[in-house]
Amino acid sequence: MEYQVIENINISLTYYKLALRIPSNAKLPLPGQFYTVRCGETKEPLLRRPFSMHRLDKKGEAVHLEILYRVVGKGTDWLSRRKIGEKVDAIGPLGNGFLFQEDVPNVILVARGIGLAPLYGVAESVHMRNQEAGIFILMGAQTDERLFYEKECSKIGRAFFYTDDGSKGFQGNGPQLLRHLMASEQLPQRLYMYACGPSHMLRDLANISEKFDLPGQVALEEHMGCGLGVCLSCVCPLRADSIRREQHWKKPSLHWSADGSRVYSLICKDGPVYDIREVEWDEWLA
Amino acid sequence: MSGLPDLSLSIGGIQLKNPIMPASGTFGYGQEYEDYIDLNQLGAIIVKTITLKSKMGSHPHRSTEVSAGFLASIGLQNIGIHRFVEEKLPYFETVDSLLIVSIGGESVEEYVKLAKILDRQKRVDALEINISCPNVHQGGMHFGTDPVATKDIVTRVRDVTDKTLIVKLTPLVTDIRLFATLSQQCGADGVSLINGLPGMAVDIRTTRSRLGRNVSGGLVGPAIKPFALYLVRQVYESIDIPVIGIGGISSPEDAIEFFIVGASAIEIGTWNFVNPNIMIEVINGIQDYMMSNNIQELSQLIGTFS
Repeated sequence: MEYQVIENINISLTYYKLALRIPSNAKLPLPGQFYTVRCGETKEPLLRRPFSMHRLDKKGEAVHLEILYRVVGKGTDWLSRRKIGEKVDAIGPLGNGFLFQEDVPNVILVARGIGLAPLYGVAESVHMRNQEAGIFILMGAQTDERLFYEKECSKIGRAFFYTDDGSKGFQGNGPQLLRHLMASEQLPQRLYMYACGPSHMLRDLANISEKFDLPGQVALEEHMGCGLGVCLSCVCPLRADSIRREQHWKKPSLHWSADGSRVYSLICKDGPVYDIREVEWDEWLA
Repeated sequence: MSGLPDLSLSIGGIQLKNPIMPASGTFGYGQEYEDYIDLNQLGAIIVKTITLKSKMGSHPHRSTEVSAGFLASIGLQNIGIHRFVEEKLPYFETVDSLLIVSIGGESVEEYVKLAKILDRQKRVDALEINISCPNVHQGGMHFGTDPVATKDIVTRVRDVTDKTLIVKLTPLVTDIRLFATLSQQCGADGVSLINGLPGMAVDIRTTRSRLGRNVSGGLVGPAIKPFALYLVRQVYESIDIPVIGIGGISSPEDAIEFFIVGASAIEIGTWNFVNPNIMIEVINGIQDYMMSNNIQELSQLIGTFS
């Protein structure tokens, strides 16, 4: 489907924000869902690129889909050069969005780099549902220079920043900052976590989740061929015991081994959002 | 010239309304695409390769993009023949296109068992025998590069079914004409080529494969089209049964190139991911080409390379 470009601006360094007008007959996305966008007119880059919804901007009758992206290659470079009024070819919304926990008074969002993209919409949704909800945001990058959206983070919740070199905020990574905040009792007791970022960070957060009984959800990133559940590229190994115990999401694409000990899920159909405790992190990172 | 040009063709005992089909493995079990393309307009639908027992497939991190190509190791993940028949086949009662089921086995016996089971299914119009998967440790390409195994599988599958049989060939042999000729001699009604080529991509920061523990994958997409055209022409000149061309087709022009070198039909693979409606656009584009060149029947175009 063709989407008209409303805005496409450089936020900082290689980070951009794209706003597309959602046609009136198209479905609206939920935070965590994604679109696949054709990033070029030739055969290189070849495949559509998946981008998560950042947030929705309602301007009267019109609804704009905002996408935050980082220019990393030819496809995203092409996208960064689209001008207002041009059309881009996008398919979506695809996958499942984050689930919201009605009975949890406080949420903590842990992001690194472009991982902030889907979490910002989560913060807005939580705020819209419950204006009393405590929203804590841990946002980080390698250096202060590579941080972006500090103001926006501080506007929507209580923001803590971290950098690898300590040039801004806490020196260390997101999981280390989370442990520090928990140990120093800077966070409330009843918390629910939403996270997006590098796989190693998510695995470390999963360990914290287990150890401190901090429930949460993650949005995973993976190369995709089709985004439609047919190429079977984007499998994520899940914990068979956790899938049997509880299934929060409809997962039409679960694929079990014959003995029932292993299970694969398709990120494009069943994800990209998963319960942080259901992912088989060691196999995912192997 | 009156009316639209005739795109129909026969392969064995079946008649396709047009020569455009999805390549196995790029179209799931068909239903996944129902919101994106009119399934009733396709010449046939070829589903993901089915094996006797379900398969988990390759490790995670199965795909990456390379120059004008897609490198993937899926490892034939599928739900197995019994679930396919129970859960996926009924959907095709609502679809007005021929159904071709791709089968893969780890032994000759498995191909025979699969063919026997599918022979009993009225809705299945043809079988595509996949002896060319580059991403499994047993069977797959190991059969397709061995003339004795190729001969054995095609002969024994032919013995147990009267359905149309298409043999999907691997490009990874010294002389593909040998395998095409053998397929014809053993009773195949057609051959399809090419399956993906084995390939690698390396992450220079980690020195690891970009496909993780899978190490290598099958290279498909526009990058392989010239090689596919070359082999289709060779095969066309060596056998009498229809040749189905596969390899990086992304436009009507690409498809027409394949017809000119001898393909009777074509399969579209990777480009379904880029443009889910591509097969309809190719059908329309072929019709336009035929009309503007005053070609009434597709057969007048096939093998016209000069």
